[in-house]
Amino acid sequence: MNRLFLFLSLLIGTPAASQSVILTFTHEVNHQPMRPNKAYYTAQGDTFTITKFKYYLSNFSFTDENDQIVKPAPEYFLISEDSAASKKVVLTGLPLGRYKRVSFMIGVDSIMNCTGAQNGALDPIYGMFWTWNSGYIMAKLEGTSPSSRYPDHSLQFHIGGYRGAHQSQRMVQLKVPFIVTAQKTPVINLVADAATWFNGATPIRFSETSGFMTPGTIADRIADNYSHMFSVKTNK
Amino acid sequence: MNLKPTYVIMAFCLFLLGISLRGKGPGPGVTYVTLQLPDSLPRPLYDFSKNPLTKEGIALGRYLFYDPKLSRDSSVSCGFCHQQYAAFGHFDHPLAHGVYGRMGTRSVPTLFNLIWQKDFMWDGGVNHLDIQPMSPITAENEMDMPLNELIERLKCNEKYQQLFKAAYGTEEVTSQRMFKALAQFMATMISFESRYDSVKRRVPGVAFTAEEAGGYNTFRQKCAGCHKEPFFTDFSARNNGIPYSPNMNDMGRMRITNNTGDYMKFKVPSLRNVMVSAPYMHDGRFFDIFQVFAMYDHGQEKGSTVDPLVRGMQLSPKEQRQLYMFLNTLTDKHFLQNEDYREVIIAD
Repeated sequence: MNRLFLFLSLLIGTPAASQSVILTFTHEVNHQPMRPNKAYYTAQGDTFTITKFKYYLSNFSFTDENDQIVKPAPEYFLISEDSAASKKVVLTGLPLGRYKRVSFMIGVDSIMNCTGAQNGALDPIYGMFWTWNSGYIMAKLEGTSPSSRYPDHSLQFHIGGYRGAHQSQRMVQLKVPFIVTAQKTPVINLVADAATWFNGATPIRFSETSGFMTPGTIADRIADNYSHMFSVKTNK
Repeated sequence: MNLKPTYVIMAFCLFLLGISLRGKGPGPGVTYVTLQLPDSLPRPLYDFSKNPLTKEGIALGRYLFYDPKLSRDSSVSCGFCHQQYAAFGHFDHPLAHGVYGRMGTRSVPTLFNLIWQKDFMWDGGVNHLDIQPMSPITAENEMDMPLNELIERLKCNEKYQQLFKAAYGTEEVTSQRMFKALAQFMATMISFESRYDSVKRRVPGVAFTAEEAGGYNTFRQKCAGCHKEPFFTDFSARNNGIPYSPNMNDMGRMRITNNTGDYMKFKVPSLRNVMVSAPYMHDGRFFDIFQVFAMYDHGQEKGSTVDPLVRGMQLSPKEQRQLYMFLNTLTDKHFLQNEDYREVIIAD
């Protein structure tokens, strides 16, 4: 019977040859912590606040020191400023060893945009799915700005589009050395700076563009901008 | 004694399997259903392996379809606008209705043979049957019901607890389960039993009259390019020359693609059951099929996106009369009266 218990414990426990990695997310604006109702400035001089900030992450992969690419089981995460739990992502199934890079997609790959009703983080109840023009909102930033041309001075950036000329998924690759051992789960702290949405290669002026809520060129350019929003903070 | 551990392990593995399958797919004890489809049809586009039809899933979908609680003030169900006797279009109503007397901007499309359809809505903006209901449920001028509130509402309802458990094995209500059940019910809406179908299948004693045969001829020459047999649509979006209406300001598929080449393109509707599903066009502007014929004959708007297949079409009075006769053979009474789709009266 002893052998049986040993067998069962092996079955229950994670396989000895692989481990997990934890990614945590901190949101900032111009290198300051993101806070509700706090005023920030764009590089163009517009004042703004952020009331909603959320985005999908998917298609994680890791590059080990031998340039082998390791892909954990496909999972989708909705990271949201208003949910502390959402800002911690656990990825399992990494072989023990040294790694040098993490790569992931901001958004939801096209297949999950066109294969019907989804569950979990992709459940449309989270308001990240367009009903009139099917497809996920890959990332959403809402707020206010005196420069906004909307009557309520709001900012409404819903970035999406998964097909044809307007695809808004963006791949991110970050250099981050970490070691997965049988004893320790590495934690990688990533920072997402929301100011990049408006300050990148395509500067956004709120008096001209106070929001964008369809697939289109502006969405593509903002996605280009925010594809640079992540950086590695600490590596424990 | 030696065998015992094996049994324990096997039981444990089954237990693990049970955990891993929990919440996915049909529950235990469901009755699987296979659609009876004519052999001549192509394979459905709908992937039934991801949503196998079950008696219990279809029953849940039908209940949801006729439940006004899916709307904000519990006044409008899917079946409110999609009426079976109008082939699940809206009899005599040019535009969709909504809660609090609100009015939509487009006419209610008929519902049948949806499992071959690649996209949905008049502009083809919705890409999957599962998620199509999300549009009318959440639209402000239709059912105006936020999805998260709807799921909470269904969770608290005892009848739904039973129905979800029967279909999926547990009482858990999720939007995915709700949408898949609705899709199951809609997938069963199949219409291939019109007189036209009997003629095609060479059912003894059934034939077109001379007028109908003349109409079929005209149809094949002038209509079948877009309204392709056997579905009587090619499921594409086209500009059929219908004049732009400044009141409605609806430019069709251009809103979806941001492409001026899609100006005034709307989905080609099936002509099956066309005689019971007036009014016609995306905004229901024509109450009579002869107004539609007249539009094609001399009422088209000129424009670069008007489909070459309809440009300059002429329909003589004789052709129009015969077409009318032929279109009547596309009415599927069996479908319109099939008890499996009949309204469920929900009073709670």
